[in-house]
Amino acid sequence: MSSTTARVDAPTGAASDPRPLLAEALDRFTGEHVELRYHRKRTRTVAVERGRVDQARANERTGVGVRVLADGALGFATTTSLDAASLRAALDEATLAARASSAAGVPRRSPPPATELAVGRFEASGVDEVASRPLGEAVELALRLEARARAASVRVTSATCAYNEILEEKGIVTSDGASAWTRLVRPELRLGAIASADGALQRGARSIGATGSWECLFRGASAEALVDGVARMAVDLLGAGFPEAGRRKVLLSPALVGLLAHEAIGHTVEADFVRSGSCAAGKLGQRVASELVHLCDAGASPYQDHASGLLHVDDQGVATTEVEIIRAGVLMSYLHDRESAAHFGVAPTGNGRAWEFDDEPLIRMRNTFVRPGATPLAEIIAGIQDGLMLDGASNGQADANGEFMFGTLQAWPIRNGKVGPLQRGVNISGLAFDVLSTVDAVSSDFSWELGAGYCGKGQPAKVDAGGPWLACTMLVGSRA
Amino acid sequence: MTAVATTDEAQELGLRADEFLALARAAGADEAEVAASSARAVSLGFEKGEAKTAHVERSRALGLRVFVDRRLGFVATNQLTRASLRAAAEDAVALARSSPRDEANVLPAPAGAPLDSRVLAPSALAAALDPRLFDLGVDEVVRRASAFVADVRARDRRLSIDRASLGVRSGTFLLRASNGLALQQTDAAASASVFGMAIDGSDVGGFDARGSTTRSLVALGPVLATLGERFARTALENLGAGAGESYRGPVLLAPEALRAMLLGPLLGATSAVAVQRQRSRFAERLGQPVAAATVTVRDDPTDLGLAGACSFDREGQPAARFALVERGVLQGFLYNGYAAAVGGTRSTGHAQGAAELLPGLGVHSLVVEPGDGGDFDALVRTLGRGLVVQRFSGSVDAVSGDFSGVAKAARWVEGGVVVRSVREVLLAGNAFELLRGALTLGSEAELVNGGARIPWALVDGFSVTAG
Repeated sequence: MSSTTARVDAPTGAASDPRPLLAEALDRFTGEHVELRYHRKRTRTVAVERGRVDQARANERTGVGVRVLADGALGFATTTSLDAASLRAALDEATLAARASSAAGVPRRSPPPATELAVGRFEASGVDEVASRPLGEAVELALRLEARARAASVRVTSATCAYNEILEEKGIVTSDGASAWTRLVRPELRLGAIASADGALQRGARSIGATGSWECLFRGASAEALVDGVARMAVDLLGAGFPEAGRRKVLLSPALVGLLAHEAIGHTVEADFVRSGSCAAGKLGQRVASELVHLCDAGASPYQDHASGLLHVDDQGVATTEVEIIRAGVLMSYLHDRESAAHFGVAPTGNGRAWEFDDEPLIRMRNTFVRPGATPLAEIIAGIQDGLMLDGASNGQADANGEFMFGTLQAWPIRNGKVGPLQRGVNISGLAFDVLSTVDAVSSDFSWELGAGYCGKGQPAKVDAGGPWLACTMLVGSRA
Repeated sequence: MTAVATTDEAQELGLRADEFLALARAAGADEAEVAASSARAVSLGFEKGEAKTAHVERSRALGLRVFVDRRLGFVATNQLTRASLRAAAEDAVALARSSPRDEANVLPAPAGAPLDSRVLAPSALAAALDPRLFDLGVDEVVRRASAFVADVRARDRRLSIDRASLGVRSGTFLLRASNGLALQQTDAAASASVFGMAIDGSDVGGFDARGSTTRSLVALGPVLATLGERFARTALENLGAGAGESYRGPVLLAPEALRAMLLGPLLGATSAVAVQRQRSRFAERLGQPVAAATVTVRDDPTDLGLAGACSFDREGQPAARFALVERGVLQGFLYNGYAAAVGGTRSTGHAQGAAELLPGLGVHSLVVEPGDGGDFDALVRTLGRGLVVQRFSGSVDAVSGDFSGVAKAARWVEGGVVVRSVREVLLAGNAFELLRGALTLGSEAELVNGGARIPWALVDGFSVTAG
């Protein structure tokens, strides 16, 4: 259990336990299996650009998702009315949908095997602190930071600052014994600056996120330091050139290592993707990376507290575990929900997640990371004769065959162990396992870096990723 | 749900919207606008080629925008009890009071001008809807979805369907505002998607993902057949991919790749907000060339074959056909109510977004006029030697126009014919520069994911780096 998540035995605060209502509806269910998932999501957002408030909003989506297994088929229905009669109606509708599927001859499914399921109340830190904070404070913060970015240089012509927080309360009750009530809050901050010179425009950007209070959000750097860095990045990129393209030695920052861990490896080991033939299929027990590589996915937040994908119980009522995906370069495990765990004959790992009440749980990552090594960063740089140091993840995508592409925000050439001037316009690509096999240095640092990130897989998921600095070889794209 | 029930649902939604509006005024809003939506959706999803879960869902949402002393507040909720609406209305007013004053925070005046031929009449949209889509049962959706996936699987044993779905969605969107605005629109469509790859022994091809939408149940069969055929063809051709070649020069782009790499930055630069905030390259370019003379781009919300067809925008302004670029020359910028108030002009009817979001800004239905480059084979012959890119996975900076990323479902062309599939090829360039260069458009526009019509394009000036 992470230090940022506490299991509490008695309800506190204004929230009320949704489980009795769910359990009441469960009493009359006659199918093979049912999951009832109450989900209240309250999102508050402020967005400022050039001194104007574009967004000052609060959204609430609350309801119950009902998934049943009846006559060997699955049915799903929802209700936004939180009373026993509406829940029973949704349960009936989901059952009818399942039976319609069954009658159409879809392949018969079995109920998930018995497993240990979560019971109790689980609450991450910071929920009441963030929920009780007037949004006006976020408006003031965003206006102040955006103005500071524009004041940083005459070349900064426009700046943005957006604050977002997601407060979630869930109740998960299943017919085979899960009964969990969870609460958490995830604040995020996005900063951007645009600098202009001679008709050219360049953008600096930085995003942070956490599970917890505002104090957690700024645990890595102050808001002022972040916005100063963003303005500086935009201005400096105006004068940056392009590096040489080709297959090159690169030194990836923790943000890019996190992106690599999530996009290039994490997706290929999601068990549903494995069953569809991803490049990780059939490779359990095989060497897929350098022995320096240890790669994991966890509901907790190891090495640094308050990661944005922190999750104590998944949306099927399974307590989350730390999954060692790659140990010393050997592929050890996939990521599972209850269904895939049954297929592979292993225990579920707590990766079944749903974005909102009207989404069905899918296999999703939580906090995905490479474990830190023992080598100081300076020592790694000193050992590189010709390479590129890369930082800032602008985006990233990966394919089923492990082919990935990341855009980067900043690049610095390394020649004979010395770091050169800033360059830009670099993207990196490769086949995930091939690239990980070239890793020859892993730094002793660690940070979570994708806290403001969302993973897309038919529905969003709040995730985090990070790690140390990591040296490897891959394809570098550039306009040079 | 029947068509009658849909009407009842719309009436109920209208009552809740009126109630929300009144509560906002009572809470202290000077001006208020409520957007409301209700929908029924029935679908069947597939995983790993097998039917997974049949969904039957109903949803409702209300979004409230208020102005208090020209300060902005917005709330949205799907809890429609009077107590919930009152609390939300009070939250919206409180939010507004904590926001700074902005003279542009006003509701756009209701459009008084009569509808012209460039605007789709609400009755025309209603008449185009297939009434059977409103009450298609879950058993019928399951039957059609199962047949769709079985058809795709039967095309080749090497195809692996990771996910697929087929569903119908019908619903109502309405607007109420304190300035008297009262508009309503109903829509219904069937949609399908398929995502997967081909696997031949140890050869795992790159994935292909595509979808389509239609408002006609009769047209659904042919739409699904085309979707399945294109998925199968692309996924199978992705097998056996080898190394590409590095060069600087022309690339043949599929409609989806053209949209992702070049049209995205172009649309971003035509946003009036981007111009006002000095992040548009087109700020001083109205009436001047911004693209090759072969390029004509417009928004056409009157095209009933596209998912974005509508009569009015998110703020109730008429959604009219609108020329963005005509023969390469910039014709106009996109305005919503806020941008129009800042600029001292009228909205062009491009407020966008769902009821639970503040009005954004963008086109409804993107249309790029075909050119004279001929069909795919003719474009490949013109290319002669180089790369064909069907999908782009990478980063596109809408401000600078810089893009870089991986060419997906890429093919190599030699002697004017496609000779093999390639992987690990990186593309880089600047969208604004490439739009101004040599650009040949194919002679027929294709439907892109049910929402746009775009032809293939042969574009010069790419930096291509092979692994």
